[in-house]
Formats: sequence, C-alpha cells, structure tokens
Amino acid sequence: MSATKASRIGEETRIDKVNAELVTLTYGTIVAQLCQDYDNDYQEVNKQLEKMGYNIGMRLIEDFLAKSGVGRCANFRETADMIAKVGFKIFLNVAPTVTNWASDNNQFSLIFEDNPLADFVELPDDGRAQDELWFSNILCGVLRGALEMVNFASPFPVQMQIEAHFVSDVLRGDDTTEMRVSLVRYIEDEMPPEEE
Amino acid sequence: MPVYSFYIFDRHAECIYKRRWLPRPTSIAGKPSRATDAQAGSTGLGQTVKAGDDDAKLVFGTVFSLRNMVRKLGGEEDNFVSFTTSQYKLHYYETPTNIKFVMLTDLKSPSMRIALQQIYINLFVEYVVKNPLSPVEHPGGVGVNNELFEESLEQFVTRVLA
Repeated sequence: MSATKASRIGEETRIDKVNAELVTLTYGTIVAQLCQDYDNDYQEVNKQLEKMGYNIGMRLIEDFLAKSGVGRCANFRETADMIAKVGFKIFLNVAPTVTNWASDNNQFSLIFEDNPLADFVELPDDGRAQDELWFSNILCGVLRGALEMVNFASPFPVQMQIEAHFVSDVLRGDDTTEMRVSLVRYIEDEMPPEEE
Repeated sequence: MPVYSFYIFDRHAECIYKRRWLPRPTSIAGKPSRATDAQAGSTGLGQTVKAGDDDAKLVFGTVFSLRNMVRKLGGEEDNFVSFTTSQYKLHYYETPTNIKFVMLTDLKSPSMRIALQQIYINLFVEYVVKNPLSPVEHPGGVGVNNELFEESLEQFVTRVLA
C-alpha cells in the first residue's frame, strides 16, 4: 500500500472525538503521579509509562483494525506508513514524519511536529528531569504492544517484536521530538499444542 | 436460516469462546433453545460430530491447515471464506491479529464473512477488547464470556441472521 493511500485512510476514518485538553491533563496527571510514586526516579517512570503503553497497545490494535479496516502490511516500510499516517492520525490527530531509514530497512524514526500529550508541559527544573524523563514514553509502549499483535502476510504469517524509544524531545530543549523504532525479530505463528 | 455453532480462536490457537445453537424445530416458530451444555448440543449437526471439547480442536486444526494450504496455493493474500459438506457450511474470518472466527450454519446460508466481521468489529472489539477490566489475553475464555458480549451475540444470531 502506498504512503498516499495510507494518508487517505487516516483522513477518512471517522472516530469519536474527545476534548484534547482532557487527554493532555489526564496524561499529565498520570505522569505527575508516577513521578511522585517513584520519588522522581525518572528511569523507573519511563519504564512504567512504557509498560502502561504496552498494555494499551495490545487492545488499541484491535480497535485500530476494526475502525480502519486495513489488512496486513507486506513489509516494515508499509507498517511505518500505517503507524504514522493512519494510527497516529486517527488516535491523536497528528501525522509524524517517517524518516531516517536504516539501510537494512529495519529501523526508522518518527518525527513529531505536534504532540498533544505534551501540550502545556514544562519539565521540572530539578537538573535531572531534563536529562532523564521521556515525558511521552507511553507512546513507545503503545507501538510495541500494538505491533506485537499484528502479522505480516509474508510466506507464513509472522508477528513482530519491536523496540521503540525517544532520542530527542522538544520538552528537553531539543529541536525535534524523535522516536526511533527498530524491528527486533519476527515471532512465528503459534501452532496448536501437540496431543499427548 | 439456522446457525449451528460459533467459535473464536485466539492467536495462541486456543478456543476462547464456543457457542452452540440447536436447530430451530419446524413446529415451533419461537426462539431457538440454547444449548450451553456441550453434551446436549450434539444433535445440531446430525450424528457426524462428537460432543465435547474435541470439536473445537478439530475445527481449529481444519481451518488452520486449510488456511495455510490456501495461502500456499493462492498467494499470501489469499484466504478461504467457507467450505461446505453434505451436512453443514463452515464460514471463516481471520483478523490481522490472528483471531479466528468460525461459524457453522446450514447449507442454504449465504456467505457469513460480513457477519463474522461485524461480530468482530461491533461485538468482540466493543465488549471484550475494550472492557478495561477484562484481561488482554483470554486463556480458557476468561473475559470473553461476559454478559454484554453473550447477549449481543445471541441477539445478533437470533434476530439479524435468522
């Protein structure tokens, strides 16, 4: 499927709207609470956010497929377009740019020009948050959870394990917000257990 | 148009939901009686299918092999829609997340592919996947057998498909 076709699906898929500030404030509250619960151990907060995202992603993918009606992707490049132009578009109404492909086609970056989760946010000035906290880390988990559930149409269906992390964030004073997504491995289709 | 039975298999090849309906007796035009008891449901398919857990395993094995064969012969995007025996018609729908929906109906039934897709989109995703308190995976069918899902499925099968 071409990138333009993916954009069209992203534009046309109707979805119930929810107030953006409500989402931003709800998410902000979660992050703030985690920071408090883990005594500003930001590494741990990143980890917890990723885990929460993972659990969301595993469910969200079904909703994504039901709403968008798209089929399987043929390769990882198609997957990237699908994530950026359909997934982010229908759930967050942003369409990050897919770029910086690794030569083996197994790694790419998503550049976010707009990130609704981080509206109104200023990281605490404690000298550590700016270097350690990835505020929107939940998104990395969502991608990991969602992609683990789908599979390619390649010879026999395989599922994929991916890893995603932020490499820069405008909240930290960087020029861009960039997430790096890597394909770790394919998971084979599960067979029914052998009869004993 | 009688629906005999309905199965959902998850990506771990486990049957996470199974439901049987007895065929509507011709003399009574009312609601078809429901057979939740596995032993009681065996009359639905004549004498050909053994009651119990075996049928779910057999159904899975069949659709799994058939689907793989179809892809090997017809290409990666190919999929089978239904097959017919002298006793019943088996309808199949698989999501990209590897959840398989199977429905057995009588021979005269039209294609149920859209119906199975509707069950996935409007019932399974809405009432099972989106229920935040149900587990993400459903070992042994936990979380699928909730009231909303079962009732809507019953309604869908008895009213929409009947």
